[in-house]
Amino acid sequence: MWSELRALRDEIDYGTPPRDGAPVTLTIDGVAVTVPAGSSVMLAAAEARRAVPKLCATDMLEAFGSCRVCLVEIEGRRGYPASCTTPVEPGMAVRTRSDRLQALRAGVMELYLSDFPAADIPGGWSELHEVIQATGVAQHPYGRGENHLDAPVDESNPYFLFDPAKCIVCSRCVRACEEVQGTFALTIEGRGFASKVAASQGQPFLDSECVSCGACVQACPTQSLVEKSLFVGGYRRADSP
Amino acid sequence: MPIPRKPERSVVTTCAYCGVGCGFRAETIGGRVVRMVPWKEGKANHGHGCVKGRFAFDYYDHPDRVKVPMIRGSIEEPWREVGWDEAIAHAATELKRIQGTYGRGSVGAVSSSRCTNEEIFLMQKFARVGLRNNNIDNCSRICHSPTQFGLQATLGAGAASQHFDSILQADVILVVGANPTEGHPVFGSMLKRRVREGAKLLVIDPRRTETVESAHCLADVHLALRPGTNVLVLDSLAHVIVTERLHDESFIRERCHWNEFEQWAALVGHARYSPDVVGPEAGLDPEHIRRAARLYAAGPRSTIYYGLGVTEHSQGSTGVMCLGNLALACGHLGREGVGVNPLRGQGNVQGGSCLGSWPHMLTGYRFVTDDAVRGSFERDWGIELDPEPGLRLPNMFDAALAGTFKAMYIQGEDPVQSDPNQNHVVAAMRSMECVILQDLFLTETAKFAHVFLPGSSALEKNGTFTNAERRVSMVRKVCEPLAGLEDWQITVRLMNAMGYPVHYDHPSQILDEIARLSPAYEGMSFELIERNGSVQWPCNRKDAPDGTEVLHTRSFPRGRANFMLTAYVPTQERTSDRYPLLLTTGRILSQYNVGTQTRRTGNLAWYAEDVLDIHEADARQRGIVDGDWVSIASRYGSTRLRARISERVSQGTVYTTFHFAQSKANAITSDLSDWATNCPEYKVTAVEVVRMQARQAADRAVAAEVSA
Repeated sequence: MWSELRALRDEIDYGTPPRDGAPVTLTIDGVAVTVPAGSSVMLAAAEARRAVPKLCATDMLEAFGSCRVCLVEIEGRRGYPASCTTPVEPGMAVRTRSDRLQALRAGVMELYLSDFPAADIPGGWSELHEVIQATGVAQHPYGRGENHLDAPVDESNPYFLFDPAKCIVCSRCVRACEEVQGTFALTIEGRGFASKVAASQGQPFLDSECVSCGACVQACPTQSLVEKSLFVGGYRRADSP
Repeated sequence: MPIPRKPERSVVTTCAYCGVGCGFRAETIGGRVVRMVPWKEGKANHGHGCVKGRFAFDYYDHPDRVKVPMIRGSIEEPWREVGWDEAIAHAATELKRIQGTYGRGSVGAVSSSRCTNEEIFLMQKFARVGLRNNNIDNCSRICHSPTQFGLQATLGAGAASQHFDSILQADVILVVGANPTEGHPVFGSMLKRRVREGAKLLVIDPRRTETVESAHCLADVHLALRPGTNVLVLDSLAHVIVTERLHDESFIRERCHWNEFEQWAALVGHARYSPDVVGPEAGLDPEHIRRAARLYAAGPRSTIYYGLGVTEHSQGSTGVMCLGNLALACGHLGREGVGVNPLRGQGNVQGGSCLGSWPHMLTGYRFVTDDAVRGSFERDWGIELDPEPGLRLPNMFDAALAGTFKAMYIQGEDPVQSDPNQNHVVAAMRSMECVILQDLFLTETAKFAHVFLPGSSALEKNGTFTNAERRVSMVRKVCEPLAGLEDWQITVRLMNAMGYPVHYDHPSQILDEIARLSPAYEGMSFELIERNGSVQWPCNRKDAPDGTEVLHTRSFPRGRANFMLTAYVPTQERTSDRYPLLLTTGRILSQYNVGTQTRRTGNLAWYAEDVLDIHEADARQRGIVDGDWVSIASRYGSTRLRARISERVSQGTVYTTFHFAQSKANAITSDLSDWATNCPEYKVTAVEVVRMQARQAADRAVAAEVSA
């Protein structure tokens, strides 16, 4: 277990936690790569320097399989499995790039961006912005529908804020609070489009059971949860007057 | 501004708060630290952090920081700002004058566990070559000195036997007198992770802490003992183990002395320590004692983590020995997932212990009275050293009151707020002719100082810290020292001014000197730490070139380990009709020790004052409701706090923290201390709590106390 934690690297996000099983060899886009059994296809792709775009996955948390941008093709398998939840197998041949995969990822990204503040797309440096770069999808064809763009910002914590307008409900914060910190202060409240991140019983972060360890902030791929110290003169939404 | 500013530069360094020693990337914009991001390659934290290390860094450039040296003739006079040269010259002149008048032993020094290994080492060198005596002590005197004594006596090494990650292989985790989820939060998260994976959790603590019960983490047994009965209860666990023959005979025969085990077993096996006798005395159900003992003995991998709840007692050293004995008896040493591990409070308090900042010991816990050891230092330093052990910190205060101790050089410590029996410490401070204080802020102790040397925070210097798992990690300079000098540079200047010429270009040269003079650090160098990320001592070129993760795997430092006899002797601090409650003190998550740093950050949002936790029944008897101001009086002094009705304390026990100077928690603590090491008995004070009629009454009480 701890040898797996020690395999984490600061400059690389393998997407799923490193494992220490027996070596398994597979190919990623034709490149042979050997990783420990129990590793995900996503981790193998990162090892092969063929990193797959991802949003809900990060190597400090167990795989979750919700964001659908990490889809790959695997020879001999139907469909487009999520690379984060698919364990490696010997001899597996994985394809991380194809026109079909690009189209699928673009479709998913357009849906995410349809409920993301448009003014915050250029100039950002979050993981979401990296995926925007990687997929080349920076806009969406949809009109203004139901959205979370006016949901109030929670600035109660002295150190970080939560802007639900930027939240893609990937659950990384919730899982970090559980798996890394072990406090279980966060949850996803509601179902479907109404689902949202909530602290304790839908309370402001400061009044909740949150212990402000910062694991959720570190895990957030969209800077919906973000350090206040990165803003000069306080936080203002781009579209606010 | 909707898009966050992107940090321009980042430097990997080690957190300056607790003894977990998390690795962080300190990120800056325009030279100012804007964010601390947990370092995923930090072997103590694996990318996790807590509210202190992660967020509470703003103290470092708080407006209260003193950036210019200051001196004054007496503590009644206002401070006068001077240049570094004048301040250093003045301090040295005063030290020499006082030594000329009152003798060589009339001055001393105190090192800081928030400073680097290199700085601590230089402080003890300063005392030995600059002051020419051994009057040097460090704050582990008041926290983990019994650890060093008790573990040295039993296991032969006064430090944690494991690395933190080892807990992920434990089947049974025994936590004694510690609350890691608040005091050592990142390790606490690791502990909870292991409990969620199915490990059994046993907690011995008078309070129902968050470690005992929180989301998806519930102790299998919680022994909420009466404060002061640690040794009694630990001996009772041992009683169950030896009388039910749960011990590991082959381990004991192979790794210990069988006759010592027999003597020990005879002592703890006596009916005196039967759970049926101990239970009522310690306020416990005898069955719970039995259950805890059986679980611990059964393992198969059982580990012990403990904190100041064990050490800060009149039998603190005995309590530590009890833990060593338990692990030896059950063979829970020398493997992954087992061991005995102190959770150390300050970031570098392990370094404080290792590096010779003791009146009787040089680096590596070797006696100053040993001619061969002293000789090796004398040859390296080119100066004859005093063979007589010096004064311990509390003895320095006693000697000050007796008129024989007149000056002190204190680096990064605030004894007036942190040490026990505050009135006594204040009187001692007032009786000194020259107190030289090196710190970031004008602390409580600064009120009694004559020379103030502005120090540097851990973000402003290079060096190393040694955490609670013996891990030496790099502290890297993120920004320039606000007052111009790193702390080690100040000590070097003072050493030179005292007439001992020495020069270092870089702290790496100081670590080289440490390595030369200390067996456990023999193989350490900045280069090795840079290459490996961190290194756990013992580290030596021959046997352990990359350090040692788990101690005692094949043998103990003395070959075999020793069972120590641990008869229970109750503390002299007793409840009475006048003082019927027992006060115990501790820390909470968002504040850190005396609060010098955290009180100057946003962490006040969670905890803006110390409060007194009191059981509902005790409160009702005294007409106290939640939020009332109450006065707390002991045989030593009194203070006032706001009361909080709490289920975390048992009836008969009250609890407070000591983070805020104005709450004067240490005005009431006793001057009783550990029989072996003088570690103060912070954890047990008999008190009475009385509701204050009105706010004015409270103010009057304080005014009276201040003028007294």
